[in-house]
Amino acid sequence: MATLNPSSRAAGGRRRWRFNTAYLFVAPSVVLIAVFIAEPIVQSGWMSLHNWTIGGSDNPFTGLANYRALWHDSRFWNALRVTVIYTGAVTVGQVGLGLAIASRLRRTTWFSSLLRTAYFFPFVASLVVVGIVWKFLLDPQVGLVDGWLGGLGFSAPQWLQSTSLALPTVIAVGIWKNVGFTMIVLLAGMQQVPADLYEAAMLDGAGPWRRFTAVTLPALRPALLFTTLIATITGLQLFDLVFAMTGGGPVFSTESIVMYLYEKGFVEFQMGYASAIAWVLFVVILAVSAVQLRVARNRDGD
Amino acid sequence: MKGSVINMRRSAACLGAALAAVTLTAGCGNNGVSTSSGGVVQLSMLTGFTGPDEPAYQALVAEFNKTHPDIHVTMTVEPWATVAQKLPASWATGAGPDLATPSSDPGSIFSYIKTNSVLPLDSAVGKIDAGAFPSAVRDAFTVDGKLYAVPANMATLALYYNKDMFTAAGISNPPATQDDFVADAKKLTVSSGGTVSQYGLSLADNQTIQMWPILQWMNGGDIVDGHGCAVVNSAASVSALTKWSQLVIQNHISPIGQSGADADTLFASRKAAMEINGPWAAAGYKSAGINLGIAEVPVGPAGPITLASTVPLMIERNTPHAAQAEQFLAWYTGKTAQAQFSQSSGFPPARTDLGDAVAANPTVALFAKALPYAKLYLAGQPQATSIDTDVYIPMIQQIERGANVKSAADSAAQKINQLTGCKS
Repeated sequence: MATLNPSSRAAGGRRRWRFNTAYLFVAPSVVLIAVFIAEPIVQSGWMSLHNWTIGGSDNPFTGLANYRALWHDSRFWNALRVTVIYTGAVTVGQVGLGLAIASRLRRTTWFSSLLRTAYFFPFVASLVVVGIVWKFLLDPQVGLVDGWLGGLGFSAPQWLQSTSLALPTVIAVGIWKNVGFTMIVLLAGMQQVPADLYEAAMLDGAGPWRRFTAVTLPALRPALLFTTLIATITGLQLFDLVFAMTGGGPVFSTESIVMYLYEKGFVEFQMGYASAIAWVLFVVILAVSAVQLRVARNRDGD
Repeated sequence: MKGSVINMRRSAACLGAALAAVTLTAGCGNNGVSTSSGGVVQLSMLTGFTGPDEPAYQALVAEFNKTHPDIHVTMTVEPWATVAQKLPASWATGAGPDLATPSSDPGSIFSYIKTNSVLPLDSAVGKIDAGAFPSAVRDAFTVDGKLYAVPANMATLALYYNKDMFTAAGISNPPATQDDFVADAKKLTVSSGGTVSQYGLSLADNQTIQMWPILQWMNGGDIVDGHGCAVVNSAASVSALTKWSQLVIQNHISPIGQSGADADTLFASRKAAMEINGPWAAAGYKSAGINLGIAEVPVGPAGPITLASTVPLMIERNTPHAAQAEQFLAWYTGKTAQAQFSQSSGFPPARTDLGDAVAANPTVALFAKALPYAKLYLAGQPQATSIDTDVYIPMIQQIERGANVKSAADSAAQKINQLTGCKS
């Protein structure tokens, strides 16, 4: 307010409070956020300090016991490892591949429009549907993929049944699902780069690669930051794909943090423990996002 | 969940519902608070019977309503995952249905008893003829001397086999002993050049009705004893787990890592010759065109054994119409209703005194015959869900992939004893 309207403060000294209609406009959002986001976050923090069971008649306060148990819980560390590997691989794959596809499809022709649609299409489907369809396709007994591989004389890999292949398979599906979104965002960014920058670069004798690194990439910085951040955050929240494709198995090899949280909270009804997991995840996401934003800001400054 | 999402395990719909439920808050109560209007008491009942057996339950409810003009029961059906999301909160806040089946897992009753959400049925004993329930079920539903639930259904597992494959392999009868079972499973496994084109047996280890415990029981092994102490690493258990994991790893009698739905698909698509499954599977296999045979589970050194499965049906503690709800349960588990249900659903009756009434249908009679010796998985064990998901399923998955059986079983036993608090 003060910065927007400095004159009133200078002139009137203590300003009388006046009802501002703007409050009315933001009120619905504030109420919704308070009731459905802020209050549950606070509540789950409170629950994480208790031995809390859904509908329990007494939920004894246990302080930080849930967090201490979490520290010694090997299944939690495994879930964290799975989540970090998935997030790293999918973010790099999604942004890298999205960038490559976007630069290939930059010129608009009927064929590149067709390909753009094709790449974007998986993003429209829900993750659960994608997971179920891929699960069918990759089934070693009745699936199409292993059927074709068998027809070509290859032995059928146990895509989702092998403890070493399951996570890479889920990662590949995760990239396939989301690469279209990154591509569209980066494509939009690329098309806003002024053409005269490229002309100037060409006059200076820059080849295609040099033009890409010296003109396209710097111009894409905000778009790259946005896609990386979104990919990281959705990666850390991995649940649907794993739930539909593997249920966290085999032997926990694809169990993500949110999957583990779901098991503890909604299968075993240990809401206190599940809330503690949620809070750790919240802190991890907050930290990662803060680091990414800081790194991006530094790059803007130089 | 314990994975025995028995009546709907092939239903992909449960996935979506579970996800939707995760994103919603649990407070979707108000699912039919009981009312009485015009002298008729309205009772609401929430169940998870979304499978092909739903009409049989609805018919039973309709029959009750017809014969009891002063009570009207309305049965609502939701996927098990949704029921599990809704019920704890709605019963705890007194806004839930009068009657409900909380889960397909009989062990789930403990969490509701712990939260004081269910009505003990001791005042109704006499009306409800618990003496006629199979003893395994009565024991599982009795906690600290009080009966808390009645069986909404009752199932045992049998051996399904593909008659055409047996004929092709030159086997004339289904296996009757454990040794025959092993020999047939090997003989029915067909492979060429390292690729298996037909499996002897379709075993599932996750999201399924339990199959591996039967293989252990057959040999005299078990998972937890009556005192809550682990016996999963007993000599008989380890020898059974070793035998069957070797058959899977070396003889490839079954694919590894299958969910229940995968195992069913394998059998239905004529890629496996045998599967251990419950009565709900018969209709689907017949309509898939399988030349289907059903036999009792083969008998091992420990005598006849199979898995029993039952869905608990309970009354909300604070329902204003407890007497009417008890009357419904008494009628539901009575002779007439159970005989009718058994005929229309193909399930065995939840009573052991209906021998004549079920003899007419050979499939029902076969499943009913196993009732006296069938065992519930982790019966009466308050930590059943944790033992299943945290310990037993991962252990089976590890030994199927070549982990040392003895050390996997020892470490599982240690974790089980930690969960149950057994000191030995």
